[in-house]
Amino acid sequence: MTRQLRELIRKEILVLLRDKQTILLLFLMPVALIFFMTLALKGVYTDKIYERQIQLVIENESKLPKASLLEQKIGSHKQISRVDRPEGMDDDRIFAENKAQAVVRIPGGFDEGEKPVEIIFDPVLDYGYKIAIRSLMTSLTVEVVMGIDNLEVVVANLIVEKTKPNREIPSPLQQTVPAYAIFAMFFIAIPMSIGFLKEKNDGTLQRLFTYDVSTNLLTLGKIIPYYLINCFQFVLMLLVGFYLMPRIIGFPFQLGDHALYLIPVTLAVAAATTGFGVLVAALARTPEQSSTLAATGAILMGVLGGIMVPYFVMPVLMKKLAMISPMYWAHQAYLDVFLRDAAFGLILPKLIVLTLFAGICFYIAGRRVEWI
Amino acid sequence: MNALDISSITFSYEGASACALQNFSLTVADGRMQALLGPNGAGKSTLMRVITGQMRGYSGDVCIFGRKMPDRGALSSIGYAPQAISLYKSLTARENLRFFGTMANLSDKQIAERSEAVLDQIGLADHAGEAIATYSGGMQRRLNLAVALLHSPKLLLLDEPTVGVDPQSRHHIYETLIRLNESGMTILLSTHMMEEAQRLCSSVTLADGGKMIYDGLMSEIDNLEKFFLEKTGRGLRDD
Repeated sequence: MTRQLRELIRKEILVLLRDKQTILLLFLMPVALIFFMTLALKGVYTDKIYERQIQLVIENESKLPKASLLEQKIGSHKQISRVDRPEGMDDDRIFAENKAQAVVRIPGGFDEGEKPVEIIFDPVLDYGYKIAIRSLMTSLTVEVVMGIDNLEVVVANLIVEKTKPNREIPSPLQQTVPAYAIFAMFFIAIPMSIGFLKEKNDGTLQRLFTYDVSTNLLTLGKIIPYYLINCFQFVLMLLVGFYLMPRIIGFPFQLGDHALYLIPVTLAVAAATTGFGVLVAALARTPEQSSTLAATGAILMGVLGGIMVPYFVMPVLMKKLAMISPMYWAHQAYLDVFLRDAAFGLILPKLIVLTLFAGICFYIAGRRVEWI
Repeated sequence: MNALDISSITFSYEGASACALQNFSLTVADGRMQALLGPNGAGKSTLMRVITGQMRGYSGDVCIFGRKMPDRGALSSIGYAPQAISLYKSLTARENLRFFGTMANLSDKQIAERSEAVLDQIGLADHAGEAIATYSGGMQRRLNLAVALLHSPKLLLLDEPTVGVDPQSRHHIYETLIRLNESGMTILLSTHMMEEAQRLCSSVTLADGGKMIYDGLMSEIDNLEKFFLEKTGRGLRDD
């Protein structure tokens, strides 16, 4: 029986590894997604003020001392890149042609306290970025109006942000490595279900029933290889995230203080992903059905679960909906390890949810599967 | 003792209005090569699946060398080559043989010896290390047969073993079957090839509409095709 199981596993892995499309889907797709999504998400994760310069058109309509001082303070701030308004170009055209992200107008009457400073934003600017620019303008304006030399120094004595060493701002890799590793792990449902249906269609599965092989053994022979491949996928993505990506795109990747917790987390995630694969294999009737079902299911779970769009930027309703996706629990469990240095007791409930999901999938699949 | 005794098998597929097999009985004497003939939908493949333990939920009895099915132990005495090429196309011939040999509970040594023997027997020894996706239809069909022979079964069940095969491969398969039968292997051959069936087999069973309509010796039949037409009122390839 052990020999038969070992051979079933060996056969399944050989068949899978000789399918180039599957290799691309399971191993290269997540690497490419990690690379491009990390670059794309840079703006979401970087500090809105200190990581990139803001291109501003500054117009001083007053020319009085306070207005001039403010113009000088804004223009010379290290985070500001002053842009001159091209001749004949109104605000709309400046934004349409990406010449600047905002226009700051210091009106006549500013010195007298009669009119406030106006900020006009490019309408497509994200909300967090707007808040950052507004906050910077407020600081500089308060400095001028109150006669303070450097507000940051004053505030630094009143508010201090406490962070763990080297954890001020998580790198986008911390989001994308676990996110797309999980995403790719769920895509195992495609080769798993197509392989099962192909064996049914060409009669190899039926042929196995003409030998002294039990259904339980065949089931294990189908589940174990994909479970192992899922674990291998995660290890590979982790290596890519830890060693390769920082060298290519320059972002750091931290494992956290309890990296060993990655083992139970990965085991639970792989159970959930394999469970999903088994469920799709049991429900689909044709290979076309199975790839549609698996891909649509994985993408929907990814959208809901904070894989495509980071969980923390989601609105409240979406955050609640995220909880119905197993990818959310998987991702949060990994973030617990990588970023939060959470105690195992805090990670455990997420692993229980994943294991329950796997159990439900296996149960439904067991009741619906037609071997012949 | 008969190699195969089937008595009063009735079986329907789920949701089907008609029975795939209806009160079907068949006997294959030990050491005989017997043809199983019938038009499409006659129930030949279903019968093969019932015999090999793939189908459950039938009424009636199937006995293989006196052991009543379902009996997983009795399966080791059956070799079955299904109509479809039921092999792993991305694996080599040797890898397929190793896989199915392990499923048949052969030891590594037995697998190595028997693989070489069957590969020689079917003329594929020179291509044993190639993925079978690169094989011609005839070569795949021969390997399909080799897998069935790997564990040296006493009863060989062949479901259309020469479908889509070129004359050369077909000839090779039939020559192999003659040699196997001469060495004492019992063979139940389901086929559309009337002439070959008459040439190779010593007895014949005709099936139509899930029923056995004739069971007798081939020597009693002059022209099998004409005889079949008389019994069923239609040709083998009619629907």
